[in-house]
Formats: sequence, C-alpha cells, structure tokens
Amino acid sequence: MSKYTLNVNGRTRSVDVAPDTPMLWVLRDALSLVGTKYGCGIGECGACTIHLDGTPARACQTQVSSVGSKSVTTIEGLDPAGKHPLQKAWCELDVPQCGYCQAGQLMTAAALLKKNPQPTDADIDRAMGGNLCRCASYFRIRQGIKRAAEIASGRTPAQGGSR
Amino acid sequence: MKPTTDSPLIDRRRFVKVSALAGGGLLIGTYVHLGELEAAEALPAAADFAPNAFISISSSGAVSLIAPNSEMGQGVKTSLPMIVAEELDVAWEQVTVTQGDLNPAYGRQTSVGSQSTPSNFMPLRRAGAMARAMLVQAAAEKWNIPAAECTTDRGVVIHAASKRRATYGELATKAAALTPPLNVQLKDPKDFKLLGTRVPGVDNPKIVTGAPLFGIDVQLPGMLYATYTKCPVFGGKVVSANLDAVKARPGVRDAFVLDGIQGLPSGVAVVADSTWNAFGATKALQVVWDEGPVASQNSAEMAKQAEALAAATPAPPLSDGVKAVKAAYHYPFLVHATLEPQNCTAVFKNGVMEMWAPSQIPAVGQGLVSNGLHLDPKNIVVHITRLGGGFGRRGSNEFSIEAGAIAKKLEGTPVKLMWPREYDFAHDNYRSNGWHYFTAGLDSSGKVVALHDAFVKMLGGPGDMYPGVFPFNAIPGAEVKSSKLPGGIPTGFWRAPGDNGNVWATQCFVDELAHAAGRDPLAFTLDLLDSAASQSGFDARRMSTVLKLATDKAGWGRQRPRGEGQGFAITRTMGAYVAIVADVIVSQGGDLTITKLTAAVDAGTIINLSAAEAQVQGAMLDGISAAWFQKITIEHGAAAQTNFDDYPMLRMNDSPRLMEVQFVKSTAPPSGLGEPGLPAAAPAVCNAIFAATGKRIRTLPIIGESLKWS
Repeated sequence: MSKYTLNVNGRTRSVDVAPDTPMLWVLRDALSLVGTKYGCGIGECGACTIHLDGTPARACQTQVSSVGSKSVTTIEGLDPAGKHPLQKAWCELDVPQCGYCQAGQLMTAAALLKKNPQPTDADIDRAMGGNLCRCASYFRIRQGIKRAAEIASGRTPAQGGSR
Repeated sequence: MKPTTDSPLIDRRRFVKVSALAGGGLLIGTYVHLGELEAAEALPAAADFAPNAFISISSSGAVSLIAPNSEMGQGVKTSLPMIVAEELDVAWEQVTVTQGDLNPAYGRQTSVGSQSTPSNFMPLRRAGAMARAMLVQAAAEKWNIPAAECTTDRGVVIHAASKRRATYGELATKAAALTPPLNVQLKDPKDFKLLGTRVPGVDNPKIVTGAPLFGIDVQLPGMLYATYTKCPVFGGKVVSANLDAVKARPGVRDAFVLDGIQGLPSGVAVVADSTWNAFGATKALQVVWDEGPVASQNSAEMAKQAEALAAATPAPPLSDGVKAVKAAYHYPFLVHATLEPQNCTAVFKNGVMEMWAPSQIPAVGQGLVSNGLHLDPKNIVVHITRLGGGFGRRGSNEFSIEAGAIAKKLEGTPVKLMWPREYDFAHDNYRSNGWHYFTAGLDSSGKVVALHDAFVKMLGGPGDMYPGVFPFNAIPGAEVKSSKLPGGIPTGFWRAPGDNGNVWATQCFVDELAHAAGRDPLAFTLDLLDSAASQSGFDARRMSTVLKLATDKAGWGRQRPRGEGQGFAITRTMGAYVAIVADVIVSQGGDLTITKLTAAVDAGTIINLSAAEAQVQGAMLDGISAAWFQKITIEHGAAAQTNFDDYPMLRMNDSPRLMEVQFVKSTAPPSGLGEPGLPAAAPAVCNAIFAATGKRIRTLPIIGESLKWS
C-alpha cells in the first residue's frame, strides 16, 4: 500500500492503495466516484474514460502511481449540475438506452468538442471509435454530439424531437 | 401465495383496492392474478396486496408512480408510468417515478420476452382510469353536480358550466374515502395526449452526471469485494485450490471453496478489501478441477454432428419438373456481453438476506437464494437496480446465489460480488448455435411448391424452429425436422430468442429462392405473403403493409452500380411486424459499409415514441453487430473467446449514418419492442451484400467470409 495525493474534479483527494491499482478502481472503490464504469479491464470498451489534464484516458489502463499531479476529471466533474452542452443534448435527444457506457461516451465526446467545436461525421467516427455501446445507441450519440455543438455555439433548440 | 392462473376469470375479477395514505392521500393498485386477489382480500396490510403498479397522490398534489419492472435500456421505467399518467390525466411534469423493489404487491416483475408493456398495458390503464374516476366523483360530490358534467385536464377536475376547478391534490383525501367503481371508462385511444409522444428517460439526468444507478454502483459501509471462480469447463467441480497462498495476497480477507449448495456450481470465493485486490488474488488462484464429461465438446465436432443429424432427416423427393434449390446456413454461439459485467451485492444479518440485484427476473434470484441457502423468501429482500444491459442475460440470476452464499458465510459483512469480464464470457447462457439445411422446390412458373428444413441446435434452451412461421406457413406441405446436439454447453435467452438466428437463415433463403426463380425479391415475397396462412396469430396483411412501407421509403428497385446493393428482410417477433431494408457498399477489396437502414414497424399502440424508435435503432444494430463480427467457439468444453479484443462489437465507425424508423399508426394493443427490431436486420444486410457482389453469406459471422469482387 502507498499513499497518493490526487487532484480529482478540482479537489485534493488522498488514497492509500497498491501502486499498480488502476484509477478505475481508485475512483470507484476508494473515492466512491462510481460514474466511471468497468466494462472490459483491457482498454477495449471505453466505459472507463476519464480526462487526465483534459485528454481522454482509459482509467482501467492508468495506474494510480502514474497520475502524479495531473488533474483528473471524471463524469461527476464534467458539470455536476448537468449543464454541459453534451449533457443537455443527451437529455434533450434521449440518447441513453441502458446508459452504462454513456459516461465514457460523454467524456470522449467532451474532449472532441473542446478540440474541435464543429466536428464532421468523419471526425466523430475517428474520436468515438474506441467507445463501445452494447445497446448500439450510436445514431443518437452522433446526433447528440452535433446537437451539443449547436448548443455550445448558441443556436436554437432542435425542432421535432430526435430527428 | 396461491399459484396464479391464466383463467378468463381474471379479467372479470380484476379490481382496484383503495386505502388512505398516512398523509391523507389516495393509493391505488391494480390486481391481476386471481390467487393473489383472494390473498389480498384476506390481508389488511398493503405490503401483502398484489398490485402490479401503484399510484399515490399526496394532498399537496405530488403524483408518485412506481415502476415495477427492471430498467435495462428498454425504457419501461418511463413507459409503464406513462400509461398510468395518460389515463389518470396528469401532466408528465407532475409525476415522480420510483423503482419498486421486488414485492409480490407489484405482480410479475419480469422484463423478458418484450412482455413488460403488453402485459401491463391494460392493467395500468385501468389503474389510471380508476383513480381519475374517483377524483372526478370527489369533485362532483363536493360541488353537488353530476360527475358526467366534469372533465379533467393535467391533474385538475373542471366543471365548465360553473367555471369551477379543483386540483387532484385538493381532492385526494375526499377521493380516498370513496368506494371504487366496478367499471371505468377508458380513454378513446384517439384522445391520448401523452402516449405516442417523445418522453426522455426518467434516469437521464443521473446517467449524464454519473450518479449511482446500476448494480455495480452499490456501496455499503464496511463492504468487501468478492469474486467467484467456477470451472472453465461447464459442469466441472473443484478438487482442490491454493487457498493459503491466495489468503496471503494483499488485501485478501478470505478465500474458500463452496460446494454442495443447491443451484450453485462448485467454485472458489475470494474476498478482498477492493475490487482490484480481489481480481489480483483471483489471478493467483490455482484450482485443480474435475472437468467432467463436457471437456470433450468442441465447435468443430458439433458441426460434423449437425451435418450427420440433418442427413438423417432428408427432404422427400421432389416431383418431376420441379427445380431443387438447396442451401445450408449456420450461425454460431453468441455471448450476451452486457456492458455491465454480472454483479450482485448482498448482506446477511439477523437472519435476513438483503440484496441489490441487477436482474431481469429478480424473483428467480430470490428463489435460488431461498432454495440454496434455506431461507424463507420473506427474509430475502431484493432491491432492483438499473441494469447495464440485459439482452436476456440477466434472467438466470446465478450472481444472486453466488453473492448470497458468500454473504451468508461472511455473516454481518456486506459483500459485492463482481465478475471479471473474462468470467462473463466464460460462464454465459449462450445463444445456441444452429444449422438449417434447406431444400426447396420451384415449379416451372417460379412458384415455391416444396420446402424442407433440417434444423439442428443444442439440446435445451429456446430457439427451436417451427413450421408455423413464415415462409413455411405460405407453402403447403412445408416441413421442419428439428434435431438436437447433446447438451452440456449452457444456452439460453438471447435478445429475440430463436428469431435472432432462424429469421436470418430463412429470410436469406427466401432471397435465394427469389433469385433462383428469376424474380424481384419484393414481388416474390409479397406473393408468398398472399398465400401465407394465418397461424399463431400471423397476420400476412400487417406483414405486407410494413414491407411495402419500408421498401417504398428506401426506394426499392432502383438500379445500382456493382458494389452497391439493397436487401430487405421481414419478421414477426414478439407480436410486432417489422420490415428492414439495408443499403450497403462493398469495395472491390471486400470492405463492407452499411450506408442506410430503413425500418417499418407495426407494434400496435406506441407508448413512448422516443424509446420505441431507440429500441428499433439499437436492436437493428445489435443484430448486425452479432452477424457481422461475433462468434463464440467451444474448445475443450469451454468458450475460447474471453473479452472484446477477440469478440469485436460494432463501433461508431461501423454504424450507418442514416437510419429511418417508421411506425404504422395503430390503435391495436401494443406489442413489446425490446426485441422485434433485431431479427430482420442481419438478413437484410446479407441480402444487400448479395445484391452488391453476388456473394451469398451462409455462415456467420460475415467477417469470416471474403466479400472481394472483381
């Protein structure tokens, strides 16, 4: 066991865990931040996507000992009030089905929009290809990203539901 | 409780029982089962009643609705309360939805077979209408006018002539004192205001902020984390294990063998202070197994056995002048792979087992724990969590007995059982593999005059093939001869059981027959539907309607350059009629792109248009994902694939950018919609691949076949 001081969602958090513990389990078991999900444990599904200094990372492949002073952002820290354009778009268009993958989808999409505020379909394919959705809600995820881009640029609400 | 029956008496005896809430409100439940009904009459306590839904209206006007069934993405936590709200005539914004625990008072809490909506539709409508009628009666008595002069709107009773209004909250206490009417008027479906609209899921705000919702999210003070390791070969047993070495690992609190518990396969429990330490110690676990007889099974041998079995049920000889068309289709085992791996949290204290179970049929888990651990079901409290996907996987509940057995051993300490993803692949109730050896006869005019299917699947589980389904019901004398491979590999309910493989095979073969007859597949299929007999409730007219609608929307029949193709397929699944058209492009190098999917669906009354559309979109892609990429092979009596690296799943970049879902306007009773969108998607894609390339896919997954053309 070793002690680590982490910067998680803007707060300083201390944990006492084995150095090889993936951030996934540090967040979930030690810090009770259960929004970050376990899907595969091998970096294939993207359900555990978090941000390290703003860049998407697989929490299941990120050992706690490698994090250092980097700022860690989880779904709980994206916008706790749910007012991030992606969170608004996800609710407006009813994107989630079972919802289990959506934290990872949102974290990956948030990093995409930060770098590229008006992504094309090809940009979305490239950025989101690492996030599996077992319910295959991909059509609405794509719509949701485009809608969030609209919201962020101040455009009016979409008309006619999810189409 | 007495056993329930399907007696026609149930409808006549269905009633609504009313009692006052502690705070002065109205509490209504509907009762559907005769046996439970009699039990309910005998018992004064609300907890022993048998409603399948609750309405409570507080005197402050808050409307609380219980969602009785497990939410796994199919939308029932939103759609079932919507049905109540419609007849109750309240605004959706007034409603708060709460997930019900497992409780006989809520009736059948099973989310399988797309049945949550059809089985609850009328009882929930009656519950809402009954409550509304009593609120109207309360207002009529208060105002001393006939109830028939009152109307309702968004939670308010209105008497237009005297311009009087009273909110449901104001009337709740008075309504609770009334005797419930024996008959209530349901709304004319054309007056529905809420049903058929788009209502976002009630849990969305929690999902997008990462709030705890799922079974895996449960945390209790002092909770420990456990794994349970079973023999990789199905049916194998523990001989010995290096328990002392495992106990010496960091964070490990206990390790022990569990054997001889009814309903629980022999295995080794490892309990630690974190999931990571539990997983680490589990990797260090070395078990000597008695593998048992299933170790001799493998997929290659099964294929040979299937061929031999099919050869033993040959097609009868065809008449002179009839052209034979033969084809063999094969689909493999599939794993469910819900994205949330199996888990369950339990604590055993003071003789009571309290459990948090992500289960599609929580009562089955309760039963397993009751039988295996000799506990009275009354002492097994089951909280239903949200499920990170179901697809039929979470009906079997083995996680419940595993967690329960470990919790009982650790009496007083809460424990979360967590399956590593690899265990989820290794210990599933797989979609059975299947083989169809078709022989058809075409007469000189291109009409199908004979059809024989020698079908083979694993023994046990769902998914058998019957001659009552299309196209067999369209061809006089058509027959299915079904044979079974020896059991041993557990198979079970995988989204749209049976249809998920059989519709692929039959719909691809119908396309083959159309081409063999030199006919357009659409005209050929519509002709077959014209001669389809009404069997098992099959309505050929509803089937033709959706096929015409989908092909019309998709622009069927347009000439396309080589490498581009369109295909369609149809299914009647779980009472819904679905036609799907796929547009594909196949590069000369063999790369497949699905450019568009067009679906037309007749599912009767649509409850929540948003969820209905999402279910069809997702189910189509689920079917395509499985057909395109997925295959579980059995080697040495065990699944060879272990995780998403060797069992790929459809990703965003594989997903078509265009999807259109059309629902036929209908006031027929609703079918379910969790499954019907799946079966016709893969054959539509395979038929489109044939149209584009001339390559016929007869073995799944598609990725195992070369699609190169020149």
